Amino acid sequence: MANNIPANLKYTKEHEWTLIEGNTVTVGITDFAQSALGDIVFVEVPEVGSDLKEGSTFGVVESIKSVSDLYSPVSGEVIAKNSDVEGSPEKINKDAYGSWLIKVKVKDLTEINKLLSAEQYQEFCNSSH
Amino acid sequence: MSQLFRTQLFDEHVKLGGKIVPFAGWEMPVQYTSVKDEVLAVRNNVGVFDVSHMGEFFIDGKDAEAFADYLVTNDILNAPMRKAIYSPLCREDGTIVDDLIVYKLATGRVMICVNASNIEKDFAWMKSKQAGFECSLTNLSNVFSLIALQGPKSFEKLRPLLTELSDMEYYSVCETFAGGAPVIIARTGYTGEDGFEIFGHHQTIKDLWQKLLMAGVTPCGLAARDVLRLEVCYPLYGHELNDDVNPYDAGLSWTVKAQKAKFIGKEVLQNKPAKYKLVKLQLDKGIPREGYHVLNANNEVIGLITSGTMSVVINKGIALARIQIDKAPKDEVFMVDIRNKLYSAQLIKKPFVTGGHK
Repeated sequence: MANNIPANLKYTKEHEWTLIEGNTVTVGITDFAQSALGDIVFVEVPEVGSDLKEGSTFGVVESIKSVSDLYSPVSGEVIAKNSDVEGSPEKINKDAYGSWLIKVKVKDLTEINKLLSAEQYQEFCNSSH
Repeated sequence: MSQLFRTQLFDEHVKLGGKIVPFAGWEMPVQYTSVKDEVLAVRNNVGVFDVSHMGEFFIDGKDAEAFADYLVTNDILNAPMRKAIYSPLCREDGTIVDDLIVYKLATGRVMICVNASNIEKDFAWMKSKQAGFECSLTNLSNVFSLIALQGPKSFEKLRPLLTELSDMEYYSVCETFAGGAPVIIARTGYTGEDGFEIFGHHQTIKDLWQKLLMAGVTPCGLAARDVLRLEVCYPLYGHELNDDVNPYDAGLSWTVKAQKAKFIGKEVLQNKPAKYKLVKLQLDKGIPREGYHVLNANNEVIGLITSGTMSVVINKGIALARIQIDKAPKDEVFMVDIRNKLYSAQLIKKPFVTGGHK
């Protein structure tokens, strides 16, 4: 199974990737997740301005055969969403790390410390698979 | 969960990179590359499925046809020899034990193909009904492997491998040979496309599988099979059909031949009892899934989605739904509750996709 895990990103156990730039966190789903899901046909993410809580669901990704919830890696306000990917969800299968879903303005930067490093995420994938 | 079974092609699936999942007590490939590609291969070209987990029973003897006819609701006695006949298998109260295909192989020789998850249940049921019929009933599920070659190019791909293969009619069956080994071939399938289901001993089917792949046939998994059958609105046991509904509840009234002299369930089924109605729903937005509620214009729950997916061919959400007959909306306005949001669904009269079978 494809499992490309860029070193510059942080991860969750729910298979989201995050890119942290100041207090802005960009969120997507990992290559592992897209590969496990198969053909992605539907993505639903919250509107800009929505408030997210760390660990709670903020949207869904659906493949032909299954529905998966998306879990917010951090708490904060949604400041952007990727309409391009909502319109063409198959882009996630082609390039999981190039297909971000939302950008969140983080409330509490200490939450970032809970995220997994690339190495930790790799280990997590190995042990859960 | 007890030990999962593996078909004789299991190693082939692993070699091909198939993603293996538990299904009906078996470890089966759910997909090899992509569900989309596999669906399109079958619709436009040709694909092959390992369906060896399914069960094969044989009825042999003077009363073989009469026994099969008594067991099921469809008409076996009057069907021509070498025909395949789809039918529910019902209880006295009309509820469905399973759905299956009866193959009239020869006079006094009938094969029945049943769902993998129901092999034990069906066999015990049939055995309990055998008294008075002069025939044997044998479960040869472990002796047979089964592959389904499906798609418009099926005949073209199979012909060079089976020199004796004639251009069989749709839903006919014959016993012939593949490389000297006996096989049973039926022009049947579960995709709506032209195709063949080939039953044979394990090594025979393994050889055939390998030759078909070498000839460029796409291996296809269970996920593609589920999309394909749903696009053409074929029911699946455990979803549209189960132990609590009868054929009228499940859109299968055409399979109940109430004029037959006797069959299990006749007393109840001849009165056409129906609590439910199976409807086809199509959504422009949202993907309906099994278990989601179906509502009418007044936001009342009137039924449940029994199977739903995103159609690969029409690129829309499609579903079969079991609606309470007394609540079926006359205005034909349907909505589906997807994660607490209501999406409007269009009632469709014909299958979502027209298969190209003969």
